[in-house]
Amino acid sequence: MSFENPWVHGLVLGLIIANVSLGVTGYSIWFERKFAGRMQSRPGPTVVGPWGLLQPIADVLKLMQKEDIIPASADKGLYNLAPPLTVFFVLSTLAVIPVAPGWIVADLHIGILFALALGSLGVFPVWMAGWASNNKYALLGGMRSAAQSISYEIPLLLSATVPIILADSFRISDIVEAQLGGHWFAFWPPGPGMAAFVLFFLCSLAESNRIPFDIPEAESELVSGVSTEYSGMKFGLFQLAEYLHTFIISLTAAALFFGGWDGPGDNDGFVWMAIKTLTIFVGIFWIRWSYMRYRSDQLMAICWKFFLPLGLALVMFSALWVHWA
Amino acid sequence: MSWLASFDNLAVNMLNLFRPTNTEKLPWIEKREHSSRYRASFALVHNEHGEEACIGCKMCEKICPSEIITVVPGGRKESPVTGKKRGYCDDFILDLNACIICELCVQVCPEDAILMLNVQEAPGYNREDLVLTMDKLYENEKLDATTWGTGTKLVDMQKPAPPPPKPEPEPVAAPSPAQETDGGTT
Amino acid sequence: MNKIESTPGNFILNEDVQWTTVGGVKVPVELITPAWPDPFLDVEDYDPDGDLMVLNMGPQHPSTHGVLRVKLVLDGEVCIKCVPYLGYLHRGVEKLCEKLSYVQITPIVDKNDYVSPMTNELAINMAFEALIGAEVPRRARYIRTICAEIQRVGSHLLWLGTFGLDMGGAIGGGGSIFMHTFRERELLLDLFEDLTGCRFHYNTHTVGGNRHDIPAGWADKATQVLRVIGTRLVEYEDFVRDNHVFRARTVGVGIIDPQLAIELGISGPVLRASGVDVDLRRDQPYAAYDEIDVAVPTETGGDCFARYLVRVAEMRESIRIATELLTGVPEGPICSLKPVKLPGAVKAKHGRGVYTAIESPRGELGTFVVGNPERRQSAIPYRCKIRSPSMHALQLLPYLCPGNNISDIIVTLGSLDPIMGEVDR
Repeated sequence: MSFENPWVHGLVLGLIIANVSLGVTGYSIWFERKFAGRMQSRPGPTVVGPWGLLQPIADVLKLMQKEDIIPASADKGLYNLAPPLTVFFVLSTLAVIPVAPGWIVADLHIGILFALALGSLGVFPVWMAGWASNNKYALLGGMRSAAQSISYEIPLLLSATVPIILADSFRISDIVEAQLGGHWFAFWPPGPGMAAFVLFFLCSLAESNRIPFDIPEAESELVSGVSTEYSGMKFGLFQLAEYLHTFIISLTAAALFFGGWDGPGDNDGFVWMAIKTLTIFVGIFWIRWSYMRYRSDQLMAICWKFFLPLGLALVMFSALWVHWA
Repeated sequence: MSWLASFDNLAVNMLNLFRPTNTEKLPWIEKREHSSRYRASFALVHNEHGEEACIGCKMCEKICPSEIITVVPGGRKESPVTGKKRGYCDDFILDLNACIICELCVQVCPEDAILMLNVQEAPGYNREDLVLTMDKLYENEKLDATTWGTGTKLVDMQKPAPPPPKPEPEPVAAPSPAQETDGGTT
Repeated sequence: MNKIESTPGNFILNEDVQWTTVGGVKVPVELITPAWPDPFLDVEDYDPDGDLMVLNMGPQHPSTHGVLRVKLVLDGEVCIKCVPYLGYLHRGVEKLCEKLSYVQITPIVDKNDYVSPMTNELAINMAFEALIGAEVPRRARYIRTICAEIQRVGSHLLWLGTFGLDMGGAIGGGGSIFMHTFRERELLLDLFEDLTGCRFHYNTHTVGGNRHDIPAGWADKATQVLRVIGTRLVEYEDFVRDNHVFRARTVGVGIIDPQLAIELGISGPVLRASGVDVDLRRDQPYAAYDEIDVAVPTETGGDCFARYLVRVAEMRESIRIATELLTGVPEGPICSLKPVKLPGAVKAKHGRGVYTAIESPRGELGTFVVGNPERRQSAIPYRCKIRSPSMHALQLLPYLCPGNNISDIIVTLGSLDPIMGEVDR
């Protein structure tokens, strides 16, 4: 039993990556509250610990103490299954994303497809929660979520196809290695690469139900969407899945379009991956606290009328680029 | 490029990120500065002779729109300090739970006995905590947080213009509507 | 989409609009709908299979602006029928007015429209003054006008914030605009605190004048605060007006036909956004409005975006009016009657009724008061009816909602700016 054994290697690395991601997610909530607070001219959390640093722990403790309410008319099995399932699907995605050379749990040769497939599976627990809650708002939220995720799956896949074509591999570590030396796909090919990144970014926002595409949650219309009936830690798991999804988007985008661990000169390493990921992560928060949300039909219109043709054009372009250049 | 204007949101939020925060820290750190007229809670005060100023005239009880003041007059007695006869108040209960902070009781008090405080009453765990009895009200006087307004000062502020002095005793007195007294009598 | 200039005195008026006259009022032709769908149709006729979903939105719902309950019949997400149910905040204010004396009513009606208490006090006291024939000194009229205009800015700021919440949710961009507007509104509440001693329920008007005089230095502070808010309005326009998401959500949503609006008794910014140029401040000047020019912003869009534009233009106009009046507050007494020392200080010795109306931030806020001729009851009104603009605005909902997405219903409801305290009284 050495570290060379893929089982041990995968287990140890998986535990480390999953726990670090959970920690980052927990503290991203603190950071978001602080960041949003300052953007809204208020200090944010200040009371629990220095600069409110213990706030995520306090939040989780509070959620754990809350009464776990199961509506009498809910489908109890599905109702209880949905929250852990959301976290499970999101967390599994981490297995195929390399954070540094060799730091990957399972270096699948179809890694990017695996990640996108698990991301789209995430719609099932959401719909499950919406249906099992037996609540009209939750039902509407689940329907919206299903429609939105299925629609945005297509441009998301198309935009992810661009780095696949450019790197000539589905393996994420191969895609990152193709970008080493500063050939980041976001800037090379110039223009379309950035467009592919923006498309990927926006579609991922829609996949993870973030503003301005957060219509499944839409707390001003559907009280809290699918999580209306959930309380306590089950609600917390939904939130955790959402933030974790956001984190994974940043991680994937950094690997696919910004060269992963590629740094200036020969300084490659984990640090650069972390810097790129966190920059995109902060960008998502910045967008979240700056925009309102679209209506559901406008959301669909944007997807089918704008994102889908753009994605197809980008795929065509990258194919031609590889062919001619 | 109108769609570029959509990015203004990000700029506005970034601008606000570097503005000083506008909210105060939680109360145990710093108290908010209130203006001198700010009114929140009540106090009964002593007059210049050191006696309780309330004479139990029940004016505040009558004017209170939400009927939260109960005055038990103590009858007219000879004052031990000045030797003059004056009224006393036996009990005075003000139920702050239903108070709408309208300042009318302060305005009608003929002796400036009831005043409003700059500070709010501490929140309690049950309703009885916010019922201000006579003891609590006199306790509040020691807080030294009474507002600017007293009955006399409020009345002075609202004094209407003095009627124009009649130059000549003219035989025909023009009836002046609304300028004349409408209040003062029951 | 072009940038639309809306500066005081230079409001947008689309020159291409054709105008017609409805009930003696000029309205744009293009907004007139030939036939409205019957909002009171019987759902059972349209739903034999029971496919439709009935959704009771409210009274506990984050976006119904209080305790409004809207019963929606939904086909998927599209509303087929909408019935607003009022009365969840009924507190019997009008009945209370028949038990309290004239001087005691003022602090009670503060609670009607809890977003702009100053105009409530002004409206009810104007009615009482008309009833007993009291005059108001010029200084008091100036203070009243300044307070009303500052309150209008504060009310519209709160509206803008909650409108953002309706579209963006509390966790997100809507929360940001909400916090920004509340930050500015706080400055206005501080002004009122300096003037009256209370931040919200002031009890500063009394029959015949005001209870609180302007303290030293208040005028300068108020001018400065209004200038700050005038500059911050530019930020809101960057944040809201020029945003693609905001436009996508508001333009063309909830178009109100001026003819229908006039028939339902709509007033205020909602009516002016439909192109009807009616404003009581200019048409029936009260307080000190006869001494100042009031420019009335109107729009011809009739949709939520037009209502937003009208309210923002009104904020600028109010800032201008208040700043201008603050420079010339005359000296003199602030009350024409003797200061209140008794509940029965003000008496109407006749049984006649009067109706006065003011332009509150939400529209025509009218008060109908009948005096009590009986000698022992003469300090108490016989009847006091308050005509609240929000109540009339809510009558539009059954007409506006059918055929719209559930998200649009929230936006439309928010753009009408209903205050449930005023609707139910």
